[in-house]
Amino acid sequence: MGIDTGNIPYPILTFAALLPWVFFQESASEGVSSVTSNAALIKKIYFPREVFPITAMVTKIVELVISFGILAAMMLYYKMMPTVYSLWVPVVILYTMIVALGISFFGAAINVYYRDMSQALPVVLSLLMYGSPVMYPLSLVHKKLIEEQAAGHWSNDLYTLYTLNPLAGIIDSFQRVMLKGLPPDFEALYPGLVLTLVILPLSYLYFKRAENWFADVI
Amino acid sequence: MPIIEVTHLTKEYQLGHITSLKENITNSYRRLLGRPIHKRENFKALDDVSFSIEQGEVVGIIGHNGAGKSTLLKHLANISKPTKGSVKVLGSVAPLIEVGAGVNPELTGRENIYLNGAILGIPKKIIHKKMDEIIEFSELEQFIDTPVKRYSSGMSVKLGFSIATSLDADILIVDEVLAVGDLAFQRKCFDRMEDMIKRQGKTVLLVSHNIRQVERMCGRVILLDHGKVIMDGSSSLACNRFYEHSDEKIKLQTIHQQQESISKSSIPNVGTLKLLAISIIDEKGQKIDRVNYLSRVTIKVRFETYIELKDPTFGIGAHTPDMIFVANDDSILSVSNIGIVFPGEFEIEYQISKMALLPGVYALRIGAALKDNDLPLFYGENLCHFQVYSDTLSRSRTVSQGFVSFGGKWVIDKFQNSLLSTQILQ
Repeated sequence: MGIDTGNIPYPILTFAALLPWVFFQESASEGVSSVTSNAALIKKIYFPREVFPITAMVTKIVELVISFGILAAMMLYYKMMPTVYSLWVPVVILYTMIVALGISFFGAAINVYYRDMSQALPVVLSLLMYGSPVMYPLSLVHKKLIEEQAAGHWSNDLYTLYTLNPLAGIIDSFQRVMLKGLPPDFEALYPGLVLTLVILPLSYLYFKRAENWFADVI
Repeated sequence: MPIIEVTHLTKEYQLGHITSLKENITNSYRRLLGRPIHKRENFKALDDVSFSIEQGEVVGIIGHNGAGKSTLLKHLANISKPTKGSVKVLGSVAPLIEVGAGVNPELTGRENIYLNGAILGIPKKIIHKKMDEIIEFSELEQFIDTPVKRYSSGMSVKLGFSIATSLDADILIVDEVLAVGDLAFQRKCFDRMEDMIKRQGKTVLLVSHNIRQVERMCGRVILLDHGKVIMDGSSSLACNRFYEHSDEKIKLQTIHQQQESISKSSIPNVGTLKLLAISIIDEKGQKIDRVNYLSRVTIKVRFETYIELKDPTFGIGAHTPDMIFVANDDSILSVSNIGIVFPGEFEIEYQISKMALLPGVYALRIGAALKDNDLPLFYGENLCHFQVYSDTLSRSRTVSQGFVSFGGKWVIDKFQNSLLSTQILQ
């Protein structure tokens, strides 16, 4: 492959990256269209509208569990044992859900007004996938930017910008706790976490404000 | 403490298509620069509506299409939010807005019962207990495990109504949904609602175009017109006002049609007789379209014939706008031989000594035939609309009483032992 993956085989490393990524992608796109696809209910009965994006996400957990089964089989094949650090997995998944919710709330509200939102989101997400360590490990980015300073004096800032994407931290942490038997790399998690904690309340407030005209516009 | 309180509720909708993203951006750019922006026209669906409803009241909401009835209910059910003013509702609301309200088409009937119960915050155990009752009332035993999307509209209404009335909400909102069910089911629903009102003291809001039902069920009626409350009070007063309103409206609408339909005979290819004009003349010889109840009127009909007619007979009748034939007379009954009518124009007159039709809107139907072979020459319905009015009779009372007065005389004899007996003479 030409990609340095350390002592972890490339297929399982990529699969371990895809697992949180697909969960995030599915939750976000399902969440964004959740309000419009329940138009019949919204027009006729009231209950807190945030139920829609949240349930959209919860149903995706079923798919996640299936993926975990496949990952377990692969780990068995490659004779890898989960370590005590695997206990971090629920935390990582919960964090993924929070990130997806941040996008869902905002996107779902926008989507009521501009239906193009649910069309545009897959394109944006697939672009984001290239900006996340799915097909290559984060360690590669770290090595290029921090150790080799490949982008000159911009390198450190560029790495922070890269890790501002919460998925960078999530995918890397997931691989570390599941496959590598290491604790999460908080340095990579931290910028994305800050961004998420800023976006989620804003996104939720926007959703609650927009909720008032859902039934009129939908 | 009122259970529903609406104060200065105003709801505006923007007309026209949703603005594009580009338009929104240019508008916010203009706003930043303080320039005038492209505004879409606003439509006031509700305009400064205020009222309050006490626990246990049964309130009817009536008005023409577009008067704001459904918008108002949507605000009470918390589905829409007011532009101005406030809506306070204490207690849970079971909304039956539009056909199949709150029913998810993808789920089966049974799942929908659970879903609606969950939305109203009712524990699964209680729903489970009520399940059989709901299914039985809805008459859908066979279909309860079929997805609702495969239901007919009548079936989904039955399901929706059964759920909404069984789940013990404090306020029941019924919006025009009963019109879809068949008569037997409607009957059942009204019994059920009456039971809820009288025995359980529930608050019910009923929107319907069936004014007779509203008048019968509700103690209080709110009449809306173009988003404003025109009247809020006893049901007979408000319904009366509504009838006057719609009589006027029906008459106005039909005057346009009259010109077109006047020459149209419903019998095709009979080019022998043509209707030229119909007029209703009052005692003073004036042409009118409002007839005073019990007054003397004459109906004049002008025909043109292209052939010689031997002994034609004419019929004239009246029907309501919803095609209930209420009165009729045939010339054959009183005039045996009209004789020969030569080609050209001619006029027939029909004199009514007392207009016995009760106040309301009616239309004329006219037919002509030959006496010999009963061959129809002309027949037309909806020909000339007229309104019967009365200064003494209330319109809403006459609606529940029928269409025609006997025109008889009352004699009440007082016997010496003070026993009252009544009989109708004549």
